[in-house]
Amino acid sequence: MKRNDGFEAKELPAALRETLPDVYVDDLLVSIKYFIDEEHPHLWIEDHAICARCQYKPCLDFCPVNVYTLAHDGKIQVAYQACVECGSCRVGCPYGNISWQLPRGGYGVAYKFG
Amino acid sequence: MNTTDERIRFDVIVVGAGLAGSAAAMVAARAGLDVALIERGQKPGGKNYFGGAIYTHAIAELLPDFMSRRPPFERPVTEAGFWFLGADGLTRVTVQGGKLADGTPDAYTTLRAPFDLWWAEQAQKEGAFLIPKTTVVDFIREPDGQVVGVKTDRPQGELYAPVVIICEGVNNLLTQKLGLSEHDLEPAHLALGIKQVIALPPETINARFGLPDGDHGLAASVLGNVSLGLPGMGFVYTNSKTLSVGLGVMLATLAEYKLKPYEVLERYLKHPAIAPLVAGGQLLEYGGHLIPEGGYHDMPKLYTGGALVAGDAAAMVNALHWEGTNMAIIAGKLAGETALEAHGRSDFSQRVMAGYAERLKQSFILQDLKQYRRFSQFLDTHPEFMDIYPTFLNDALGDFFTAYGRPKKELFKGILGSLTRRRSLLGAAGDLISMGRAVLGW
Repeated sequence: MKRNDGFEAKELPAALRETLPDVYVDDLLVSIKYFIDEEHPHLWIEDHAICARCQYKPCLDFCPVNVYTLAHDGKIQVAYQACVECGSCRVGCPYGNISWQLPRGGYGVAYKFG
Repeated sequence: MNTTDERIRFDVIVVGAGLAGSAAAMVAARAGLDVALIERGQKPGGKNYFGGAIYTHAIAELLPDFMSRRPPFERPVTEAGFWFLGADGLTRVTVQGGKLADGTPDAYTTLRAPFDLWWAEQAQKEGAFLIPKTTVVDFIREPDGQVVGVKTDRPQGELYAPVVIICEGVNNLLTQKLGLSEHDLEPAHLALGIKQVIALPPETINARFGLPDGDHGLAASVLGNVSLGLPGMGFVYTNSKTLSVGLGVMLATLAEYKLKPYEVLERYLKHPAIAPLVAGGQLLEYGGHLIPEGGYHDMPKLYTGGALVAGDAAAMVNALHWEGTNMAIIAGKLAGETALEAHGRSDFSQRVMAGYAERLKQSFILQDLKQYRRFSQFLDTHPEFMDIYPTFLNDALGDFFTAYGRPKKELFKGILGSLTRRRSLLGAAGDLISMGRAVLGW
């Protein structure tokens, strides 16, 4: 289980964290246009056992469109349909455990404004 | 069957119809080369997201008559500068008039979906052949490594050309596949930029931002109480009928502090000085994109036999000045010119491709990137520029312009104390020197 050498969990002061408002991400997602490839997910977890042992799970936080969520059984689930292909999870997973490909041509996010 | 007869051949293949790619295609096609411009989106621009503003100097280098081609610009940038956010206050340090009001505007606020589409159309007008909805997945190489084409995700989707210009963007999978870059960019060198495009009536935008009319626009970098004191920066751009409001925070910071970027953005939008500017606006689009801010030290090798790399894929971003689009365009142009030279000599080896790196060295691109090579590390190690100083500036100016009915001597002592409680004077002097070094490249 290889870890990014640079990764170091840090604490934000509680008083500062409290200033962060709750956001209902779906309110943001409805503004984004997608051509969803129902047949071919372009993101997946390589090995769920690694996630189970990962104490950080930063993917649950840094993804700007909340693709990664924790299911009831504790497994990370991947809503690739919401992906904006930024690549944060490709390099941000401390264990390099996310398989990341570009969607097939024509599929994925299609910004109207950009 | 002789497969060589069935090969689809071009003189140049450009991967990615963004700012760098369409610029490269424009230059090569204008000189009469057969150019394939491959774009993985439904159309050019659909995958791109930025602040932002487009600089006219770069556009004019390719299209001196660009204004008569009706580029989908939003507003000319007639006011630019820094906003410093305190706990609940805002100090604006912006410039207007002068050079910004003189002649052709230096920059226009822009939205990338319409702009990149127009930019690719200019390449098509020169004869470049746009192939949309097609993802390049690999290269075709000779046994000696020479690149001679690309493999796409289309059936029988192999295309051949003696020069491939890689403008794939920040997720530089192809650049890595060629071995030009040995590993992914590190999360500490990548900013995750997120933005909301917010609709407001033009008159409301003018009134709230003090702009006389739609031919005036603001571009501001927002420092201070934006990114919770962590390395990051906000921005505000006024478009014709929308605002582009967002921020960038280093990916490593988001991961290590377990921060949800959209919560950081929402907090910024709710700041007492920002909320009235966006109040009543309708969210038209939210999105995100990585910005390669590592600069010079993160640049890949820029060429190999038969291939060149330009734009975000080559980490061509000057984080302090929010420059990147102009570097992409000029690097694309220089790549296109190198492709021309190679065709002129019928030599596509590394030796001729190396001319691209030489051209970049002669331009502002490599000179600036080299000068600012320490800048992103500087921000990483000096978060006080994101937190203490902007807050101090707000508090100090607030105190300065308040009549407390106390002796001024006491007041100035108090102002200085509000800084030294947070950072020693010696420390502050050291910070300024480090900033100078990071900017001047000493």
